[in-house]
Amino acid sequence: MTDYGHDLLFGAFITPAAQQARQVVDLAVTADRAGLDLVSFQDHPYQASYLDTSTLLAFAAARTERVHLNANVTSLPLRPPAVLARAAASLDILSGGRFELGIGAGAFWDGIAAMGGRRLSAAQGVTALREGIEIIREIWDTTAPGEVSYDGQYYSVKGARRGPRPAHDIPIWVGAYKPKMLALTGAVADGWLPSIEYLPRGADSLPELNARIDGAAHDAGRDPAAVRRLMNFMKVQLSSAPRGLLNGPPAAWVDQIVDLALRDGISAFIIGGDDPSITERFGAEIAPAVREVVERERKAGAAARPPRA
Amino acid sequence: MIMEIGIVLDASRLARAPLETVELARLAEERGLDLVVVADAATGTSAGLDPWTAAVWLAGSTRRIAIGAPAGATTAPDPTDPQAQYPSVIAKALDSIDLLAQGRIISDPAGWVVAPRDAKPAELARLAEADLPVVVPVDSREDVERLAALAAEGDHRSGVRRRSAAVRAQRKPGIDYDGVPASLADAAVEPGDPQYRSLSSTYLRGGAPGLVLRPSTPAEVSDAIEFARRHRHLPLGIRSAGHGISGRSTNRGGLVIDVGAMNTISVVDPVRRLVRIGPGATWKQVAEALTPHGWALGSGDYGGVGVGGLATAAGIGLLSRNHGLTIDHLRSVDLVLADGRQVRASREHNPELFWAVRGAGANFGIATSFEFEVDEVGEVGWAQLVLLSTDIEQSLRRFAELASSAPRDTTVFLVTGQPRAGTSTIQLFAVVDNPDPDTVVARLTPFLELGALAGQQVVMTPYSGVMGNAADVGPNGHQGFGEPNSRSAFLPTLTPEFARDAAAMLRSGGVYFFELRAMGGAIADVAPGEASFSHRTPAFQLTAMGQNNQRLNAVWEPLRQHFDGLYLSFETDRSPERLLDAFPAPVLERLRTLKHRYDPDNLFRDNFAIDPRTTKEAQA
Ligand SMILES: Cc1cc2nc3c(=O)[nH]c(=O)nc-3n(C[C@H](O)[C@H](O)[C@H](O)COP(=O)(O)OP(=O)(O)OC[C@H]3O[C@@H](n4cnc5c(N)ncnc54)[C@H](O)[C@@H]3O)c2cc1C
Repeated sequence: MTDYGHDLLFGAFITPAAQQARQVVDLAVTADRAGLDLVSFQDHPYQASYLDTSTLLAFAAARTERVHLNANVTSLPLRPPAVLARAAASLDILSGGRFELGIGAGAFWDGIAAMGGRRLSAAQGVTALREGIEIIREIWDTTAPGEVSYDGQYYSVKGARRGPRPAHDIPIWVGAYKPKMLALTGAVADGWLPSIEYLPRGADSLPELNARIDGAAHDAGRDPAAVRRLMNFMKVQLSSAPRGLLNGPPAAWVDQIVDLALRDGISAFIIGGDDPSITERFGAEIAPAVREVVERERKAGAAARPPRA
Repeated sequence: MIMEIGIVLDASRLARAPLETVELARLAEERGLDLVVVADAATGTSAGLDPWTAAVWLAGSTRRIAIGAPAGATTAPDPTDPQAQYPSVIAKALDSIDLLAQGRIISDPAGWVVAPRDAKPAELARLAEADLPVVVPVDSREDVERLAALAAEGDHRSGVRRRSAAVRAQRKPGIDYDGVPASLADAAVEPGDPQYRSLSSTYLRGGAPGLVLRPSTPAEVSDAIEFARRHRHLPLGIRSAGHGISGRSTNRGGLVIDVGAMNTISVVDPVRRLVRIGPGATWKQVAEALTPHGWALGSGDYGGVGVGGLATAAGIGLLSRNHGLTIDHLRSVDLVLADGRQVRASREHNPELFWAVRGAGANFGIATSFEFEVDEVGEVGWAQLVLLSTDIEQSLRRFAELASSAPRDTTVFLVTGQPRAGTSTIQLFAVVDNPDPDTVVARLTPFLELGALAGQQVVMTPYSGVMGNAADVGPNGHQGFGEPNSRSAFLPTLTPEFARDAAAMLRSGGVYFFELRAMGGAIADVAPGEASFSHRTPAFQLTAMGQNNQRLNAVWEPLRQHFDGLYLSFETDRSPERLLDAFPAPVLERLRTLKHRYDPDNLFRDNFAIDPRTTKEAQA
């Protein structure tokens, strides 16, 4: 079994549409009231029809009370790591520890270049991300002596001030699909945050991809359970008959999610679709039912589900 | 005097005591203070809170009060420096907070004055003379209460609506904002106002005007014109429903007079079918209002277009072959002239002006009401056909023969773009003004030979069903961006050589939108001298739009030999030669004489401006 034993999280993936700024914030408030654990927004600064994700996260965090927030995922090439670290820590402090850091190496290089960013190859992007994560953790670490100095291949800085220090240990969740990114995730990240639609074979890819992360974690001397496995589901639908993954009646959703949790170790389920009524039912109906079954089965322990064929 | 007072919160205090410090901002809002500024005075080894994140948080934690935060330093982007922000991303952040917090953020530190912590009332009053909010660093609730008491004491605000410091910080130079006439002040919209974004752009054009005046009566239009005369140094756009292409009904940093609110439609004389229509009505609304009477007034091919812009230019539409141009139905029009006078133009009153308005109306005044004689029109056949052609040259030739030889009751417009893999997608928009479905089918059938039928929708409907094709403009207003690039021409006839050259232009990829509007029929029944729009005999009006203006010009140029004049509404080129294409020399000369009489300072110049000072010689 591949259950890593994390608490389950349920979240909403909300489109940051600039033309609907008010509805976007309202949807975050709906998710908060529905008892969801996460609200996340994609980060594509070159996409003219989207709001700036960092700004939206801070604004939505101020308008919500309990829900945690994260970028899904931050485009590192346009978010200089020290700036990102300070913004993240600041928001974590203001929100009382409700900020998490989703991050990726960047995609859509034409858009990044058009904004003045640096064009990197996929391999270069992975190294830059590794460096970026190191810098972020350095900035957050206010107990270490002296200022931050870093001399990397893609980033270098001499004497940057440390801090502010986040209110809680902000986990770093990496959006990863390819082997090098999965290796990086296993080696240094606190979580893996892909979208099911982008996995080569959907849920069937999970054993292989999980194994890559686990292997990289082992190699780095880490417990694979140190890496939470999160998942976005962009296309979801509540309908009367089961039609597919998260497309069917609530009971079918519950079965599918429980299966992903116990069989594939997925512990965070983040749904797109921007539909307030689905958001509400996800929080009020589906999440508690999943939690109940998973808790029961975890207690039963031995009855672990066999891995996917 | 009005004194605006705010507080300064320090980023390091925010880091030390976040909740308590945010509470100070909330208290300031509750007590009616005007501004909270986040200052980054953090010293020591550990950084304070990121001021931008803190400012956004404060904006989210409050509802009314303005928030001041210097947006990140605009250093040159350096991808290797983990502390250097990208100016493009900062600009986007500013734009986003403007949307989220509806104009409550002031990002320029020049938008406030910082007073010392222990400033006495007299000193605050002296600092306030700069007409900027004065902000004072605070540490406790008592500090905020003390300032609030001071502000309440000095508060002698009159009934005049005064905008917040955040809004005023976004004002553009060269505009006498405080001098907006009282009749217009309430409805006027400036950058930073909540409605500004819904009014800054038009259907096809992005803009950022410095002030939008929204008169709702002729007297208010007169006041608006008077204000505009005092701002002759700025661009001036006249707007009805914002579908201008040639007409720059938005601009950057200038004024817009928007008569969209003047949109009533009423029947004046049911026997003569006289209808009075405000310029702000759209043709969709006009068609809907006339349908219950069994009437219609031809317009163009799109219901979103406004009466003000179209009825002052021509109105080449889907009823034109049977019922003539829109201007042919105009019986009188009320205008406000450049000197603020309200006049009526008709055959009896100011006939010269009446002639000029029907074709070059945008040069002469702001139309505030139109009186049209409309026609009885029953159900019409309304067809939208999609045809795929592998030989666009041949299809254009055949279309020309069919559209021109069709009976008057049939008006067909053709739209196409760049062929993909050798195949052109042709859209036909056709109205057959005949209540008999069999006749409709018979009229349309020949057009099916233009290509392989890939989609069709044919209905019997009142004309309102045709104009209903336009989506309603929502509360966000128009969302155009950038500048449209459009070329316009009249074709006396559509020759095989034109078809050849047009096909080459389409293949070049320099044109993404190409439309032929069939003319003829009733359009040509009217004498060319009747109105300043004098192109009565062309077979087609042609529009071509491109992404890139230079490229568009390059592919358009070889077609010029086939043209005779142009319809100004679809031409975005502002070079003076185009005036002579829109108006043949004698017409232009007459217009110039009238322009000299009615608008000697060329106040109305956003749409094929005829400069009254230019002599005929300079034109030739
Ligand atoms: C999608 C689309 C389809 C179209 N189809 C057709 C068509 O089939 N046939 C056709 O003839 N035209 C057509 N047009 C062109 C249209 O008629 C012109 O663009 C017209 O100016 C739009 O009018 P408006 O009031 O909506 O525009 P606005 O943008 O409000 O105004 C455009 C210009 O008109 C002038 N103007 C506006 N209001 C007044 C007023 N009250 N008094 C004096 N001048 C004023 C100003 O110069 C202004 O800049 C079309 C345009 C579009 C965008």
